[in-house]
Parts: sequence; C-alpha cells; structure tokens
Amino acid sequence: MQSDASLELRTDRIREMITQGNRFDSRKLDEYRKIEIIKNISENAEGSARVKLGKTDVVAGVKLIVGTPYPDNPDEGTISIGAEFLPIASPFFEAGPPKIGETELARVVDRGIRESKCIDFKKLCITENEKVWIAFVDIYTINDDGNLFDASSIAALSALLEAKVPKIEDDKIVKGEYTGKLHLARKPLLCTTYKIGGKLVSDPTFVEAQGMDARFSVATTEDNYLTAFQKGGSGSFSPKEIDECIDLSFRHGKAIRNLL
Amino acid sequence: MSKKVVIPGDLISEERKKIGSHVFVEDGKIYSDSLGLANTDSPIASVVPLHGKYMPQIQDVIVGIVTQETFGGYIIAINSFYSSFVSKEFIRERLQKGAIVSGKIMSVNEINEAEVGHVHVLFGGEIIRTSPVKVPRMIGKNASMLEVLKKGTGANLMIGRNGWIWAKGGDIKLVVAAIRKIEKEAHLSDLTNKMEAFLKENKK
Amino acid sequence: MNVKEKEIEYVKNGKRVDGRKIDELRPIKIDVGVIDRADGSCYLEWGQNKIMAAVYGPREALPKHIQNPYRALVNYHYRMATFSVPDRKSPKPGRREMEISKVSGEALEKAIFLEKYPNTTIDVFVEILDSNAGTRVAGLAAASVALADAGIPMKDIVAAVGVGKIAGEVVLDLNKTEEDAPDAVDIPIAILPRTEEIVLLQMDGLLKLDEWKKALKMGIEGCKKVYELQKTALRKAYLEAEKEEKVKENAK
Repeated sequence: MQSDASLELRTDRIREMITQGNRFDSRKLDEYRKIEIIKNISENAEGSARVKLGKTDVVAGVKLIVGTPYPDNPDEGTISIGAEFLPIASPFFEAGPPKIGETELARVVDRGIRESKCIDFKKLCITENEKVWIAFVDIYTINDDGNLFDASSIAALSALLEAKVPKIEDDKIVKGEYTGKLHLARKPLLCTTYKIGGKLVSDPTFVEAQGMDARFSVATTEDNYLTAFQKGGSGSFSPKEIDECIDLSFRHGKAIRNLL
Repeated sequence: MSKKVVIPGDLISEERKKIGSHVFVEDGKIYSDSLGLANTDSPIASVVPLHGKYMPQIQDVIVGIVTQETFGGYIIAINSFYSSFVSKEFIRERLQKGAIVSGKIMSVNEINEAEVGHVHVLFGGEIIRTSPVKVPRMIGKNASMLEVLKKGTGANLMIGRNGWIWAKGGDIKLVVAAIRKIEKEAHLSDLTNKMEAFLKENKK
Repeated sequence: MNVKEKEIEYVKNGKRVDGRKIDELRPIKIDVGVIDRADGSCYLEWGQNKIMAAVYGPREALPKHIQNPYRALVNYHYRMATFSVPDRKSPKPGRREMEISKVSGEALEKAIFLEKYPNTTIDVFVEILDSNAGTRVAGLAAASVALADAGIPMKDIVAAVGVGKIAGEVVLDLNKTEEDAPDAVDIPIAILPRTEEIVLLQMDGLLKLDEWKKALKMGIEGCKKVYELQKTALRKAYLEAEKEEKVKENAK
C-alpha cells in the first residue's frame, strides 16, 4: 500500500528520472535491493525456500516423484520447473491456467539450471528403463514488486540446494525418510538487466519496470559459464550493451551466490 | 478523550448515540464495522478506519490521473473502485493521457461512479500516495497541517481527498518522509507541532 | 501398515498423539499486512499448516455481466501449492479446491456489508504453502483477518476451527495423523463469534446425534479461541506504529 503505484500510469516520468540516473528509492542504477533467503518454508516439500528481493516476494518448493524415464535417456531422471503468478501477489494477476508470462519465466529459469548441468540426471535413475526421479520445482509469487525473474531464479536454486532425496523401499517412497541431499555441481543464477530510458538498470521495482524498453536475462555459473539468455520487451540492445549486461550478470550472480 | 483500537464487531456503545461513519446498530447497540480507532467519549459514535479505499463524496477535491480519452470526455483514475468521468463540455484544454489533474466531485450515482468538474491540469511534479482515511490529518484543522508541510518543505502541495497528493518543487524527499510520518502517527495527538519540529530538524 | 495403524492409541489418559488435550488447539501464529501490493493480507501458521491470504477490492466486477447492482460479490480462491502435501499435488485446481472455495466465500458473505459496494468484487485468495489437516478452516481464519486489514466493513470476524471424532472421542482441531485414523470424522465449522451464527459447516464420517451435540459445543468454544488470536493480531497490527514511536521517545 505504501508503493507509489499511481506512478504506473506515468511512464514518461519514470523514464525521465532513470535517464538522469536517479531512482525512486535512491539506489544506483546497477544496485540490487536487499535480498533475504528463508529456507525450509514447507515441511511437505523435499526442499523449499522463500526469497525477498526488496518487496518482491516469491516461494519455491521441490517435490521428487518416481516416474518413468524418456525412452531416449533410459538411465536419466529429469527436472521440471513451473511458475505461477499467484493472484495474491498483484492486482494484475488472475487465477486460471498458465499464461504466457508465467510460461516464459518458468522456461528461462529452467534453461539456466538445466543447461548448467548442475544436476547429474544419471544420479536420479532408480532402475534403468523403469524408474527415475523427476524433480518438480514450482515457483509461486507472493508479492510482485518487479524483477520476478531474478527472485524466482534465486528461489528455485535455493529450494534445489535444500532438496533431499526420499528413501525407496519395495518400490515405494518411505514418507519422512531420506537417503541424502540432491547433489548440485554448480550454482547457476539468472540476473536480468533492464533498459529504461536508454540506461541499463538492475533489479527494477514494479513501477520502474513500467518504463521498460527491453530486458536481457543472463544465467551464469561460478566457474564463468553462461547457461541461458533471454531478451524480452519490444526495445533493443546494441552489442556493446549486451556485453555490459553480461558483465553485470556475472558480477551480481557472484554477489548473490555468497548469500546462498 | 478516551480512544480505543477496535476491530469489526467490537462494541462501541450500549447507549443511544448519533451514528457516525464505520459503525452499525444491532439490537440497539452500536458496533464498529472496521479495524480502526473509536472515540468512546464522543457524543457521535464513529470509527476512523486504519485502511480503506476512497469513496467519492460530492464537493471533495481530488487529484487524479487521466487514463483515457473517450468520445465525450476523459476517464480519470481517482483511486476508487471506479474511474471517474469528466465531460469535454466542462474543460477548455485538451488533456493528455498520464496528465495529473485536480478536480472536484460534482456528482456520485447510486453505485459510487463519480463525475468530476473544475478540472485543472497540474504541470510537472510528483504524485505521492496515502490512505484516504489519513487525508484529514494531512490537511489538519483549518489547513494548519498543510501550511506546516508547505512551509517546512518549500513544496507546492495539493492534497486530494482521494489520497493522492501532488507535490512540486521544494524538498520532495522530505515531503514523502513527512507524509509517511503522519500516516504512522495519525492517531497521536499534537501532531501538527510534532511535524513542525520534524520538518525543522530535517530541513537541509 | 494396517497392523501398525491399529496399534496407535489416538487418545490415552486424555492426551492425544501429539500430546495435546482433547480440546486443545495446535499453536497458531498470525501476521497481518504481509503482502505489500494487496489491499489486505495475512500470514497464518496453524501447527504445520502455513497459509498466505490476500484481499483485493472492492474492485470493479468484470466482465460486466457478472456485476450485481445491489451488492458486492465475494470471489474466494483456495489453492494448494504443489509442494504443500506429501504427494505432489497437480497444479490444476481440483474439485476439492473448488468446493472449499465456494463454501468459504459464502461463509464470508454473511460477515461483510456487501450492499455498500454494488457492482464490485471482493477477491479473496488463499494459498496453502504447507499442510497438515485443517487447511480450509485455517485459510478462512486467515482470510477474515486479511479482510479486516483491507478495511472492508464487516459485522464480525469469521472464526473457524475443525472438530471431529477419533477412536470414539470428540476432539478439537484434528491433525493429519488423527484425520487418517480409520474411524475419523471431520467437521469444519466457522461462526460469527459475537452472535454464534454458523456460516460454514461440513461433515464427513459416521456420527451419532449426542456426539454431534458435543462436537458443536466444542467447535464453538474452539472458534472463540481462534477469534481471540485473530483479534489480538489485528490490534497488534494497529498498535505497532504507536509502539515504535514510544520506543523512539524513550530512547531520547
């Protein structure tokens, strides 16, 4: 209720301010808001986390279920990442089947994690050709004050880092017993840079993002790999700006990784 | 004066009293319908709610934002359940989408849709949001608080009854800080003097 | 497994599986105003249950043909997160969630002065993040706190609780272990505490009339305990600002 939401209607004013290098909350253009990670927010999840990025608030939970492997990878488990913009989080979110924005977010976060090869899918095999673990990661928004992409990526990774693998006995999951943690070889994180009023801006609030021309998300790992890109919005970036965005993503990714 | 925090369904008075806002009568007793503050000694039973949306009333001065141009007029967001409407008959200049305007509520129909008149464009400046229920404290008795705010911040201010405040010039950050402070302490007494001291202390 | 279940003594010397007395609630924690974008919100923990509730509105009811020119509509959405249950829940809303949403919304309608806001909806969203039996009543309790936080005028705060029967005993606020007992009966109940009007009541199981009478009495008493916690949380939310100010003044 405290956010100056009427500014949403005044995109010219937002762009003008950013062009001058100013932000409504006095941050520098490349500065993130305070990040808070709360682990284990749901006992029924195999792993879970809640991430607050300023007033943006998301939760993610992991469930491991026994499924059948794909015929072309009979000895590999898999992950599946979903996202839902819960209507509790914003007056603009509606209940109902997944919409285009949710699908994009889930797929970008998914690519960042999957392509980093941080999870050894072979280790998720229970019996070849028959049974494998499928790790479902579901992301839910609690409050949308902008930059849901980055908050969701941090939440998904934090939940996976917490996740435990259930014990299997006579082909059945033993409730409440685990064989150990899900091993992650890397910590891929997605950091998004927005272009607003001709400037590159990190971690915009909801109001700031209303003045957006384009955004560019880059997933990076601690060993300097790039694992996913996603350009969004109807504006464009110059090759030089893309390089700047990548630099920013490495820098912020490193800082956020220290909080995990 | 004795004031108490009440929640919906709390008893305000068992006696007959004049009925003010945010109370209801059941079996001859008066109860609160909102989370808010009740003055139990007052001859009028009423509650000042903590939160609430703006309910347009005739003669209210409001600050709005033009959201749409239609054939006969403009749609203006006024922080209510509905946007309000101003007919082109009543305005000389053409309004731009996104423009900030001040205006007066001319009529409200039975489903709370408002028509706005006396529209003036406010050039430049910022809109700061507050809760409509806190607006009377922002203005104060005989506009005393408004004067203190204007003097203390050097800003040109227009406080809309709908909870939107237009500010231009002066120390805008101090205006925002002052508004947030009044919101927090709206239920405390002697607020005008406190704010005068606060603004003096924080003036650059 | 069946042998194991029979070995559980659900009530022993007046104590239950988790050590509670027959008429004892699980611990309840209520935080008000936790979602910035919402008009009103509440985070509620009830035992292991963890719930986020948010209220948006009154806002224009759309599409227009659903508008009621005489009153506001209450649109209640109860949803469970996929990871809130032991076996992953499908992300699609199920029949159970739809039914709970319907009866819970109707329970709130009785409390709200709907006629003040014609042609609008009051949207109430309840999200279950973790569960261990009794989420519909916990969700309803959280929703009514969020409604008060949103400044929606109401006659009273809706209070809710589950009562039931296990091993032939009528008990308050069943947890998951108890709910899974072979002869368990579950009765969610919600009331307007000031007048004791019942606004939600469901039941499934085999119950005798005298057991029902006992359960109703226990349910109303339980609701009143929940009501006290709801009131305390709302008052605390109001007084927080004042307290902060006093601390600052004392520090001077």
